[in-house]
Amino acid sequence: MNVKIEMGPGSAIAKVALAPNETFTAEGGSMVAMSGNMSIETTTHKKGKGSIASGLKRMFSGEGFFMNHYTASANGGEVILSSSLPGDMMVKELQNEKLVVQGGSYVASSTGVDIDFEWQGMKSVFSGESIFWLGVRGTGSVVLNSFGAIYPIEVDGEYVVDTGHIVAFTENLSFTISKAGKSILSSFLGGEGLVCKFKGTGTVWCQSHNPQGFGQAVGPKLKPRS
Amino acid sequence: MSMKFEFSLDKKPDYGFITVKIPAGQTLKVEASAMASMDTNVIMKTKMKGGLGRLLTGESLFINEFTAEKAPGEICLAPSSPGDVDHIYLDNDTIFMQNSAFVASAMGIETATKWQGLTKGFFSGEKLFLIKCSGTGDLWFNSYGGIFSVDVDGDYVVDTGHIVAFTGGLEYKISKVGGYKSLFLSGEGLVCKFSGKGKIWVQTRKVSPMVSFFWPFRPQKSN
Amino acid sequence: MKWSIEGAPAFAHIQMELAPGESIVTESGAMASMSAELDMKANMNGNLFSALAKKFLSGESFFISTFTNGTTSPKKITITQGTPGDMRAVDLKDGSVCLQPGAYIASTEGIKLRTRFAGFGSLIAREGLFRLEAEGTGTVWYGAYGGMIEKEVKGSYIVDTAHLVSYDRHLKLKTQLSGDLISSLTSGEGFVTRIEGNGKIVIQTRSVHGLAGWINRYL
Repeated sequence: MNVKIEMGPGSAIAKVALAPNETFTAEGGSMVAMSGNMSIETTTHKKGKGSIASGLKRMFSGEGFFMNHYTASANGGEVILSSSLPGDMMVKELQNEKLVVQGGSYVASSTGVDIDFEWQGMKSVFSGESIFWLGVRGTGSVVLNSFGAIYPIEVDGEYVVDTGHIVAFTENLSFTISKAGKSILSSFLGGEGLVCKFKGTGTVWCQSHNPQGFGQAVGPKLKPRS
Repeated sequence: MSMKFEFSLDKKPDYGFITVKIPAGQTLKVEASAMASMDTNVIMKTKMKGGLGRLLTGESLFINEFTAEKAPGEICLAPSSPGDVDHIYLDNDTIFMQNSAFVASAMGIETATKWQGLTKGFFSGEKLFLIKCSGTGDLWFNSYGGIFSVDVDGDYVVDTGHIVAFTGGLEYKISKVGGYKSLFLSGEGLVCKFSGKGKIWVQTRKVSPMVSFFWPFRPQKSN
Repeated sequence: MKWSIEGAPAFAHIQMELAPGESIVTESGAMASMSAELDMKANMNGNLFSALAKKFLSGESFFISTFTNGTTSPKKITITQGTPGDMRAVDLKDGSVCLQPGAYIASTEGIKLRTRFAGFGSLIAREGLFRLEAEGTGTVWYGAYGGMIEKEVKGSYIVDTAHLVSYDRHLKLKTQLSGDLISSLTSGEGFVTRIEGNGKIVIQTRSVHGLAGWINRYL
C-alpha cells in the first residue's frame, strides 16, 4: 500500500495505490472515488472479524461503527479517500510501535496495523478532544486527518498544546491538563483557559485550527435548528 | 469560434478565485452573489433565469450579467462555498454539472436543469440535480473541496456526493458499493459508476458532513 | 524574532520563535501550542474605554495576550485564528493600516490598536460604524476567512462589502448599490463598497457571510 497525500492542508485527499490482491482498511464514509474493480467487505473490526463491541468502542471515539476493507483485483488499483471536514491528512509508517490518536482522526491503515480503543483518563473531558482515543499499533501505514494544517512538535521536556489542537502523539509522551499562563485569572482572561501540557520525549502532531472556533464563528449566522 | 476571455485562477484549491478581463462592450453571465470586486466601468444587470427546474435546485432565480462599458473591465468572482474553481472552453459541446457548480460563462453557453429522477436522487442522500451546459464559449465552475479530474476509459466509481461535473459522452448509473451488507453499513451510500470515454471532475469533500458539523452551533428555535 | 506563515491560504498559522527577552502580543485565544517555558499574561486591549470600544464597536477581543520569553534560549509558539483562512504580515514604520472587524491576529510591542469612526456609510454596509487601525512601528499579522489578494486601486474600484479586509488609511470608502434598485435587490449583491483614491487594498476570496448563506441552502 502506497499512500500519497495531495491538496493539503485545506482539501487533502489520500491516494492509496494497492498492489495486485492487496487489502487495506478504511473508515466508513471516507471513499471519494476508486478504480472500477475493487471488492469491498464491511465489518466492525478486522477483515473477516468483528463484534458489536469493537464497533461500539470505535463509535465512542468519534469514529464510524463500521470499517470497510478494500481488496484490489489481480491488476491492482487505486482508492481515493478524504475526511469529512476541510483539513489536512498525514501518513505515518509504524515500525512495531504505537500512536495515540484523537478520536475522529483515523482514516485508514494497512493490514499489519491494529486499532483499539484507548482510555487516557478523565482529563480527556477537558482536553477539547473526544473522551476516548484510539491506540494504533503494529507495523505498516496509518492515515490520519485533521481540521487545519498538521505540524509536528518534537517534545523533549515540556510543551503546551491548546485544547482542541491534538491530532496524535507517540506513546512515550503523556499529557496533563494545566493552565496556559502563570495565574489562573490570566489564563482565562486571555481566552486560553485550559491547555494540555505534554511531558517526555517524543512527537506530538498538532492541528493549526480548532473546529470549535470555526463552528462558533459561523453557527450564529445559520438557520435555527428545531 | 466564439471569443475567449482572458482570465486567471487564484488561491486554488481551497478558496478558488476567478479574475476575468471583459473586453469593451462584452458581457459575462455570473451566478447571483458571486461578484467580489470589479472596475467601476463594469455594469451589472439582473436577469430572471428560465425554467421551473430552478425552484427545485435551490439555486437563485436570478442571474447577473456584467458588461464592460466603453473600456475593458476586470471582474473578480468568489463562489460562496469553500473550495476549488476550474474552467473549460466548450466548442459546440455539452457537460453536466452538479446543480450549485455554475459560476460564470460566456453568453454563448446555454444552461438547463436536468433532474435525475427520484431513484437516483433519493438514494444518494444528495439532491442530485444536474445542470446541462452546452454551446460554445468559456465556462467556469466551482466545488466544495479541491477538484481533481479523472480521464475515464473503461469503468470508474465516484461517490455521488463527490461529483462536480462530467463530459456529455459518458454513460453513468447509480449503484451500490460492495455487497448488500456494505450498502447499508459501509457509510458509502450509493456511488455513480461511469463507463465509456470522457472526463470527470471530482471534489475532495462532500457537503453533508459539513452541514452535520454545524448542527450544534446553530441557534435554537425559540417558541 | 523568527517567524513564517504556514498552511496558507486554507489554514494559515504563524510558526514563531521568540529570542530571549522578546514578546509577542496576540488576540485572545490565538495560541495553538507553545513551549511550556513561555510566560503568558492577559491585558485589557488598551485602557478600559478603548478595550470596551474595541470589543463592542470593532469586533475585537476585550483582552489581549502577551507571550514573553523570559529564558536564555529561543522558544517556539504557534499562533492561529478562529476561522480557517489566509494571513498576511505588514511592517509599519510609524505608519498605519486599517483593518476590518475581527481581522487582527498579532503584533509586536511597538504597535497600538485604535478604534476610529468610519462614517455612517459603513453602517448601511453592515461593517459597523467603527474601524480598527493598527499603527506605530513594528509588525502586524492579520487574517480573514478565504484567501487574501492585494489590489492596487488607481482612481476607483468596487468591492463587495463582505470581501474587504484591509486598506490604506487615505483611501475613501463609500457605500453604494450594486446596480439599479431592482437589480441590487434581486442580484444577491446588495450593497457594495466604492473605493476612491490611489493605494493598496486587500480582499478576501471568501466570506463567513457567504459561507453561512451557502450552508443555509442545505438546511
